[in-house]
Amino acid sequence: MAELGATLTVFLVAVVAIGVVRWVGDTLNPVQLTVPERVPFAGGFDPEFHAWSRFHIRWYSMALLFLAFDMEMVFMYPWAVVFVREGMISLVEMLMFILILVVGIVYTWRERGFEWS
Amino acid sequence: MSPAWAVALVGVLLMVSVYLVAVMETIFGLRVSGVRGYGRAWALPMSRAALLLSQRRSVTERPDAQAWALAPALLGGLGAVALTAIPLAAGVEVADVDAGIVLFGAALVQVMVAVFLHGWAANSLFPVLGAFRMAALALSVSIPFSLVVITTALPAESLSVGLIISSQESLWNVVRQPLGLPIYLITGLGFSFWAPLQLPDARDLSGGTSAEVSGAALLVWRVARASILVAVAAMGAAAFLGGYLGPWLPGWLWMAVKTFGLLAILVWSGHRIARPRMETAVKLGWTVLLPLALVDVFVSGALTL
Amino acid sequence: MRDLLARLAVGAPVPVFPVAGGGTREALARLRLRPDVHLVDTPRHAIVLLVLGEFPPGEIAGLAAVHDMIPSPRVTVHWTPGGPRDDVPRSMRVDGDDTALVAALSRVAGEVLSGTRASEPPIRPDVDPVEWRGIGPYGHGGKGMTGGTPFGRPLAERAPDRDGLELDQLSVTVGPWLGALPPGLELGIKLQGDVIQEVEIHPPAVTLERPDGWVRALEVPVPVAELELDRARHHLVWLGEALRVHDLPALGQRTLRLAQGLTPGDRGEVERVLAEVRRTGIYRLALRGLGAVDPSQVGGLGPVARAAGLEDDARLDDPTYQELGFRPVSHRGADAADRWRQRIAEITQSLDLAGRAGDRTAFGDGVVEGPRGRITSDGILPGAVTVDLLPELLTGLEWGDAVAVVWSLDVDPTGVASRSSPEGAAA
Repeated sequence: MAELGATLTVFLVAVVAIGVVRWVGDTLNPVQLTVPERVPFAGGFDPEFHAWSRFHIRWYSMALLFLAFDMEMVFMYPWAVVFVREGMISLVEMLMFILILVVGIVYTWRERGFEWS
Repeated sequence: MSPAWAVALVGVLLMVSVYLVAVMETIFGLRVSGVRGYGRAWALPMSRAALLLSQRRSVTERPDAQAWALAPALLGGLGAVALTAIPLAAGVEVADVDAGIVLFGAALVQVMVAVFLHGWAANSLFPVLGAFRMAALALSVSIPFSLVVITTALPAESLSVGLIISSQESLWNVVRQPLGLPIYLITGLGFSFWAPLQLPDARDLSGGTSAEVSGAALLVWRVARASILVAVAAMGAAAFLGGYLGPWLPGWLWMAVKTFGLLAILVWSGHRIARPRMETAVKLGWTVLLPLALVDVFVSGALTL
Repeated sequence: MRDLLARLAVGAPVPVFPVAGGGTREALARLRLRPDVHLVDTPRHAIVLLVLGEFPPGEIAGLAAVHDMIPSPRVTVHWTPGGPRDDVPRSMRVDGDDTALVAALSRVAGEVLSGTRASEPPIRPDVDPVEWRGIGPYGHGGKGMTGGTPFGRPLAERAPDRDGLELDQLSVTVGPWLGALPPGLELGIKLQGDVIQEVEIHPPAVTLERPDGWVRALEVPVPVAELELDRARHHLVWLGEALRVHDLPALGQRTLRLAQGLTPGDRGEVERVLAEVRRTGIYRLALRGLGAVDPSQVGGLGPVARAAGLEDDARLDDPTYQELGFRPVSHRGADAADRWRQRIAEITQSLDLAGRAGDRTAFGDGVVEGPRGRITSDGILPGAVTVDLLPELLTGLEWGDAVAVVWSLDVDPTGVASRSSPEGAAA
């Protein structure tokens, strides 16, 4: 855990350092903006609506596929460590597992899940 | 390594390498555009930084202010964390964790969160489009990315980056697992949303997630983004090119040479390869890179036995 | 601290946001080659707002809004290649050539950065778009779950999706000064997620770019060498701008540089650069299959028509071109990739024709094959017809794909200007 302490410190210092640079910028050039200076840019005309909307993600089937593979990645880490010790049997086991998931890719591809326009 | 040393070492390394990435970017840009004479490139990043620090930060009408402030800090923090997982020379490990590649992978996967926040927070059309592009891009590249990194752990029988390096004494992984490095570099470009995979910050979105960002906020965003690229290159050098291993020269120098070699390839490709369409990038990840990465895992695995 | 930063910042190219009216195509291309200037894609990254070229009478659409979006320190510079403009207020006006302009841009940027020149205040009044403060149960202008105008703007409307679901739809006007689109092009679009559901063309914010050489060729025969070099130059500038939007700005600069002082003898260098463009994989990665046109709709549209397999070229009917053995290049795919291939092939073809033409002249009888298609004396430019194709072609595309299609058509908003004011075309 002591090693992760160094990592955590590095993370926090990096976050704070970036915050400080931003703060220095704000001190040199105070951010007090009028209404027209805050209008979002779309080429010259004011937006009619907030850009935040319930965004239609057309690649949702790909996101589901990702979830399946991401779970599999969790098993890959310990598998990699014991792989050589366990030998061929671990290779075959993982191959079977993955082949089932690959069927998911083929299905999504056939259903045009990677296309959306 | 004590936290104080770790901070100093990672800080200095990141500053120097991010600056050199900016110089490289300028030099390759000048080269491709047909201009000769690169003397100006060395001071240019500093001038640009000074210019950004002289500009005011922009705020939109109703932004998510906290998320906007957090995004670059998180991105830079992740770049720094990813770098701590990598031994920089024999015995010089910032964080000698057993599961180094897990720490590295965990840091890189969070990049998607930082970029998404950066785009979403502005509440402006093009940044929001950029945010969702990052989500699609990161989901498409992260599985092949993790697969090729894990494959380097097979011969080492360990998730520690130090042991992965020492397992390459006789033969580098780039030779042993020839599919690994190319897939790693392409997906690494995706994670650092660097050209040609800069879809979230692309010009067809007028800068995407950075379209509403100016001044110091833009400076830190660009620095943080380059820090991810540096971490990706350093890990590539460690996992595939034997890290600090090499004859004659000291280990840290080998590590630096290999890292900057990979950085040069990455930056060069941004000027030489076209940005794919969003759909093409997603399809490339799932139907080309992922199957190839699986071949890499199983063929390399079988050869290791 | 501020002084130190300002002194350091002098070494950086000045970030300039261009508001480019009619007649500035070439001037913008030259500016992109200047190492001391960096033309940026969003006003948030700029210091200088550069207004150049010709605009319809009255206020320049969107100019005040874009001006106010530039973070301070900000400054405006007006520069018109054909002479200064009288109706624009508060101008720092520059006369003279590109070099004078670049010098002026560097000077004023240095002045506002160091504080010796005051940053310009916002043009528009500091007033909320609608009254929202203190309204509604939370005082933010909202009503119910998603109604009202929270913080001054309503939330997106809903509309049916192609799958039959009711989903949020965002209406927005993009352009006329969006770096991703040709200057002056203004589109009203409706988006669901990143996909365009509807496109409406607004009147252009620029006035006619007079294609002088081509219009002159309607009445008097003009040297073929001159016309063909002009055509090659036009396509090279198009290629440079399109490469920039596709995030290959350095390669784009290389082609823009080729366009300067082009001669038939540059053919070797041109071919080397075009080969580099092909090697980026842009056809396969970014263009293939996008925006296929119906050949029956693109007659007279020059490269767009020929890329769709039509042998549509006014040069075929001209005796001089017949004498030179001219045969048009054509492609079959009709998509964005083939339009790129078409123009790239026409660049070398034009250089070849220019080299062989000697002092022969062509045209002069009311029809000319211009770089965007057939120009006749009725005053409607082919660019206008191309703009009309957009609503049908862009509907259903992801935003980035739509941008790629717009550039592949070499859309010319000033062509629309010619249609809305025929007397402008005659001038």
